[in-house]
Amino acid sequence: MEFTLLWAALTAVGLAWVGARIWSDGLPDHSTDRMIGAAAAGLVMGRLTAMILQGMNPLANPLDILIIRGGVHTGVAAIGAISVYLWTAKGRLDYLDATAPAALLGLAGWHAGCLWRAACLGTESSLPWSWALPGSPITRHPVELYAAIGLAVAAWLVSRLPWRILLRAGSALAVAGLLRLLTEPMRPSLTGGPVGWYWAAIVIGGLAAWLGPRVSRRLSAAST
Amino acid sequence: MILAGLDKPAVVNVWASWCLPCRAEAPLLNTAFAQYGEKVVFIGLDVQDNQTDAKAFLDEFGLDFGHYFDRQREVANHYLGIGTPITFFFDAGGDLVATHNGVLDERTLALNIDELLKLGT
Repeated sequence: MEFTLLWAALTAVGLAWVGARIWSDGLPDHSTDRMIGAAAAGLVMGRLTAMILQGMNPLANPLDILIIRGGVHTGVAAIGAISVYLWTAKGRLDYLDATAPAALLGLAGWHAGCLWRAACLGTESSLPWSWALPGSPITRHPVELYAAIGLAVAAWLVSRLPWRILLRAGSALAVAGLLRLLTEPMRPSLTGGPVGWYWAAIVIGGLAAWLGPRVSRRLSAAST
Repeated sequence: MILAGLDKPAVVNVWASWCLPCRAEAPLLNTAFAQYGEKVVFIGLDVQDNQTDAKAFLDEFGLDFGHYFDRQREVANHYLGIGTPITFFFDAGGDLVATHNGVLDERTLALNIDELLKLGT
């Protein structure tokens, strides 16, 4: 059980790599490495934040950074991955757009990683595709697979969007937040879940998708 | 023995003050205890530890439910638990429903408590 989060992370990176191969749209090959590097950096940042919040000293327990057996702060991980990606891409926002579908597919992999962790199930359900915990008569929503399927479909849809600065990247962020928000009621929770982060993703992503193309159009009109 | 005579489901958490992942799940157990403490019994089993360090751990995290020393890991071994931490989920009849080896996350804890409560209804 200790290494199952690591397997889920590897599934995410693997699917993101596949997505980058399918939807790279002529970007240079090293953009894939950049994206995987940024995702790994984001994971490490999210893990470090989780460790510090849990009162652990990462320097005293360096292996625990990689084993990920205590969770990752997803908000910090997402911000970290995007920041590192932009930094390595020298601020090229079109690179962010180019890899947005692959990032969504990677997120789908993270959720599908529930299969390695035996952690797919949510609230009670009698739908035909529901299943139960081992030995239990109570069937439940496979909520993490709903999220994984939704994100995979969203990855394809985002890849069909036209090329406009931040349209794909913003839409991807907004859709990721929206899918998490929609599936949240089906996840048993003690705290209600990090709903604030989901709303932040929806608002920031929506604004980026709406403003990005307009600002870029005005800037190019002004420069000609 | 501890579970005998209980008419509620129980969450039994095996921990130790030297166990790093136990630090990650301690706040979660506190939240769950605050939320479900009236419907579910929470029990901590401190293993392979000394009393001074164990007390410091309990004070640090304010774990207010009942804790017992199990220096030789007898309970964990009896129920075939692996490593530390481990969390056992027992129904109201005292039968073991689920074992979670390793650190708990919020979803797993909430899901298993939901399962215990639904099995009891």
